[in-house]
Amino acid sequence: MTKTYDGEVFANDAITIEVEPGEVYGLLGPNGAGKTTFVKQVIGLLKPTSGSIRVGPYDLVEDPDVARQLCSYLPQAQMPIQSFKMHEAVHITGLIRGGPSDAVRERGDALIEALDLTEWRDTLGHKLSGGVRRLVGFIMTTVWPGKVVILDEPTNDVDPRRRRLLWEQIRLLGSGGAAVFLVTHNVLEAEKAVDRLAIINEGRLIAQGTPSSLKSDDRGRLRLQLMLRPGNGIPELPALVHHHARVGNNLMMVIDEAAAGAGIAWAQQMMEAEIAEEYALGATTLEDVYIRLTGHTSQGDS
Amino acid sequence: MIAAPASTLPGKRAGIAHWLRSYTAMLRWQLTDMRLLLPLTVMVQLLSGVGLVLGFGLLIDDVSERVALFLSTGAVVVTLVVVGVIMGPQLIAQQKSAGSYDFMWSLPVPRSSASAAWVTLNVFIAVPAMFGALFAAIWRYGVSFEPSLMIVPAVGLTLVTGTLLGYALAHGIPRPDITQLISQLLIFVIFGFAPISYPIENLPGWLAEVNRYLPFYPMANAVRDSLTEGLVTDVGRSYVVLAVWATLSIGIVGIVLRRRK
Repeated sequence: MTKTYDGEVFANDAITIEVEPGEVYGLLGPNGAGKTTFVKQVIGLLKPTSGSIRVGPYDLVEDPDVARQLCSYLPQAQMPIQSFKMHEAVHITGLIRGGPSDAVRERGDALIEALDLTEWRDTLGHKLSGGVRRLVGFIMTTVWPGKVVILDEPTNDVDPRRRRLLWEQIRLLGSGGAAVFLVTHNVLEAEKAVDRLAIINEGRLIAQGTPSSLKSDDRGRLRLQLMLRPGNGIPELPALVHHHARVGNNLMMVIDEAAAGAGIAWAQQMMEAEIAEEYALGATTLEDVYIRLTGHTSQGDS
Repeated sequence: MIAAPASTLPGKRAGIAHWLRSYTAMLRWQLTDMRLLLPLTVMVQLLSGVGLVLGFGLLIDDVSERVALFLSTGAVVVTLVVVGVIMGPQLIAQQKSAGSYDFMWSLPVPRSSASAAWVTLNVFIAVPAMFGALFAAIWRYGVSFEPSLMIVPAVGLTLVTGTLLGYALAHGIPRPDITQLISQLLIFVIFGFAPISYPIENLPGWLAEVNRYLPFYPMANAVRDSLTEGLVTDVGRSYVVLAVWATLSIGIVGIVLRRRK
């Protein structure tokens, strides 16, 4: 699928993705990478410049009506539910999505309970906090889900405890047979929740696979993290460092497991030389892969 | 544990039952969405209809029956048009600014059912205002109206055309601030240069001719004819022009809503 603006800017440059029913598929990438553009084409809000989107026998580009029936979409922006009580917003959206009234109410209430929102069930939207509204948006999107569920940054503003409950429900959507597209810039959360993922940068698909296959290059390696003293540049790095990235005063490096001792010794030298304040050694995560591929951390720009 | 509903790939939903279901659900959404604002909006529209009727009486010392009928039926049409052309675009512009537009537009309903629900909402807001203006005229000027059944097509065509033109404007122009500017400009045109509250003969010849083909004069002529006896002529032609505009506005909305960037 390709999407250009004014024939020049490639928002999506020949991205091909295949998702199986039951799969939770992560779309990761820095801000402006083209993730949201991609999913808006799936739901039919934008039209691809070229390429096709198929779900079973249906061509979603040709038939945007069927695209909206097959896909449920949680956009990044908050839902317009100021005047709705929580359970009304959920129920009416379920009806709009084509669910039978009783079944929609039953599943809606079950989801409200599962995400621990029961105390606000009868509260008007304008009195809900941002995180709670985000969760209501998730329930509205999935109370009667399509075959493809698109969630654009579903955990934004959500507290850590309900975040876990939310991930559980996202996994269950997969078990129910839906293909879930998860747009996020939170790599660490995605690593635990997705079956497969794609990393998109500047409109291009730069990596695709399971979290562990993407980490395979870093197998047998460790992450060495150095907290630089403010005002210090990146010190001369020893040869044992495979790659590195700096965010603020945080210098992240990937080294071989076998070089752990040498790495620690070097880090201690850096502290004695008052270049660094602190160091840590740990397992590599998807974040390290992400940094290597995009040149950004998932938390912000490097 | 909550199992998601069973999931074999469904057939495409279509047909009249799907349309009606979607229409009902969308209308329910829009009424609930407006619940805090609806009573206030209805009240404001009603007051502006009444205000228009009473205001003219302050401007003109001696209001004859003919003038009173002209002014009050004009106020009815202005009220009907303002709801669709001004209020609609403002609400949609607000959705666009808030970012909730994408969600509304991703819902699995036929575009036409969402538009029909929108027109219905406008009817709820405009019709009380229409009655307000009529009763104010009866009370203030002692005029009597002679409503005929033609009030249904006259008001219906006026509301459909006005609402859908405003709707197309709001959806067709990407930037909400430009939409707002254009709807303000329309108000200026409607109040100043469309013969809604005065006879078309009062306009210079060329402007009168232009107005015969624009929707506002035919709206006023048809509504006036349905409420009074012997006040206006050339009504058949007004219905034809109005029907063309109604069809056109449905067509424009259809094109605007199907277009994807």
